[in-house]
Amino acid sequence: MRSRGYPLQYILGDQPFGDLEILCRRGVLIPRPETESYTYQAAKLLRQMALERKGTSNSPDQARPLRVIDLCTGTGCISLLLHALLAPHFQQLEITGVDISPTALGLAQENLEHNLQLGQLASRAGTDIRFHRADVLGYDSDSSVPSIESILQTKFPNFGTLDALPPDQESGCDLLISNPPYISQREFRNGTTARSVRRFEPKLALVPPYSGSGMEDCMPEDIFYHRILTLAFKLKAKLTVLECGDSHQANRVVALHKRLASAESGQFSADVWPIREQDLADNGFHVTDGSRGVIIQTLR
Amino acid sequence: MLVKSICRSILRPRLGLKLSPLRAVHTASDSALSPALLTRARLLAAEHTKLSERLGESFDAKTAKRAGELAPIANILKEWVNANDSIVELKSLLSDPSTDAELRSLATEDLESSHDALPTISDRLKKALIPRHPFADLPCLLEIRPGAGGDEAGLFAFEMLRMYVAFCSRRGLRPTILKQDTEVGPSDDRLSEAVIEIEANGAYDILRTESGVHRVQRVPATETKGRTHTSAVSVMVLPSFPEDGSEMDSALNFEDPNSDYYIDPQEVRVEKMRAGGAGGQHVNKTESAIRLTHIPTNTVVSMQDERSQQANRRKAWQMLRARLAEARQEAREQELMQLRRGILGGVAKMGRGDKIRTYNFGQSRCTDHRTGITIHNLDSILDGGHGLDTVMESVRTWMADSEVEAMIAEDMAKAKKE
Repeated sequence: MRSRGYPLQYILGDQPFGDLEILCRRGVLIPRPETESYTYQAAKLLRQMALERKGTSNSPDQARPLRVIDLCTGTGCISLLLHALLAPHFQQLEITGVDISPTALGLAQENLEHNLQLGQLASRAGTDIRFHRADVLGYDSDSSVPSIESILQTKFPNFGTLDALPPDQESGCDLLISNPPYISQREFRNGTTARSVRRFEPKLALVPPYSGSGMEDCMPEDIFYHRILTLAFKLKAKLTVLECGDSHQANRVVALHKRLASAESGQFSADVWPIREQDLADNGFHVTDGSRGVIIQTLR
Repeated sequence: MLVKSICRSILRPRLGLKLSPLRAVHTASDSALSPALLTRARLLAAEHTKLSERLGESFDAKTAKRAGELAPIANILKEWVNANDSIVELKSLLSDPSTDAELRSLATEDLESSHDALPTISDRLKKALIPRHPFADLPCLLEIRPGAGGDEAGLFAFEMLRMYVAFCSRRGLRPTILKQDTEVGPSDDRLSEAVIEIEANGAYDILRTESGVHRVQRVPATETKGRTHTSAVSVMVLPSFPEDGSEMDSALNFEDPNSDYYIDPQEVRVEKMRAGGAGGQHVNKTESAIRLTHIPTNTVVSMQDERSQQANRRKAWQMLRARLAEARQEAREQELMQLRRGILGGVAKMGRGDKIRTYNFGQSRCTDHRTGITIHNLDSILDGGHGLDTVMESVRTWMADSEVEAMIAEDMAKAKKE
């Protein structure tokens, strides 16, 4: 099987991700080591932000849970690792994992229980983490899949209202993180994508569907970012972390964010990560093509 | 003090002969402490009294810690002084002609028991005075690598791996095999390198007796003509630092640039075993090997036992820290040794290159060359059993003795200079 390129993780049934053991099965994307690094970095930034907030204002922050949205969660690896990393530092956590695939959601729930059993997750993870089925793109208005908006409205009462509340108030989302499908039709076919991936991993998780409408002002492989950035504004996300396919795509996403940001949506810092050579080396990225995460922070 | 002067008079003529004066100190009498050691004990006890007084006035964590370290020395010294005083008193009682017979017999009895107690007290004082190894409280890594001897060395290295795993399990030390590389060959029992992590605090102190070259003499399984082969396996015991250095004492905190064990990340080259190309969702690489090179010392650590690169990187860093810390500690000891050697002309020191022990299967014996101890039940050693305990214990005593000898030598040299 292995000689035909069948992924080792599907044969063994799992893949380590941080200190977690993530179960892997046909039909759900296998977690990659780079995603691990982005997740660690996101957790690090959240802790820094919390420390800074404590330093500048005396408002008791403990009353409000830290809210995290993980779009296109797949195996649930990002949501679960974030909980493992953040639980020791935050008394209250609300992590929502979203995916369109019922197979993925089933496996994500299984992974939650599996790692609870292994003792890698605190017991509160069972109630802190919720997985929901939703369509992030929402092209088919008549489909049976709930739209992402309907899910987010239940989580954030102020979702989408354009009131001028400062972003750090009750309503805000602290982290919007996603590793969405980002491979273009061309790169899927021309050999950039490895045969093993092409043949055995779900295309649904790799290549964004063709929109057809042409209404988005971006390349077809970037449509998820367009949607997610729009959602980030509506959610008033303090931190947005997105994994991209290469540094070109990452730079396009930064530019797209600049275009979409309006005057009243606030001030942001949007950067490609990692840039520093030490960060690249520390995270095991290759220097020439490693920088392909986008990190957007809302400035106050 | 009477005993002190006796002690001096015993020592002086022998020192004059310049014939291994250190041996002389020990063979003279174990109950008689060398004057250097005694002086040291007195100085430390005086320091303790001063610190206690200061603590009575105001509390200070650093002072309290130092006082706590010195307290046992001060207490044992007090015991020792009391025992000696009573001996002197009893002797004067006995030599006094006016003492009646009944009292005399009581005094003789007391004198005997005091004499019996003195060696143990001296011994305890001696132990208390030996400076603790800086890594003594740490967990450790134990590396096993076959040396000369080809296949047979690999085979025996594998047996040694089993021996230490069994030893640790029996002593409740929970060994974890971090790395186990075997040679490509017909079977998996030819080790090319293994690293065991023993997470228990103080494991370094227990196992540091094992660092060095172990020699095996036997007719290997691979030998067809029945000849005895000699091969060697090297064992290295390294300190294992916790991942978060800030929990450590400042001297051992490897994240603190002022610490002796600090590693500048800029000086470490990180290599993934496979080069770049498209990443992320495009590929599903299962290679997770990582290699770290500390450029100034050219120390290379590679790790590939875990399926997660993150985990491999963590372990590789742990091993690099351990190796550099051991090397730096060794360099410091070497410096001290040079100093002592310059004064005394040769003090035995076992480095990592020295042959420390022989396992002879033909005679079913194991001899440690440092202490000269021979155990004739080889199985109880290779199973990590009590035989190994006995050997290690003897080495520990030897190490303590040589430490004391070196200290005395140093003090004497200082005194001579003055």
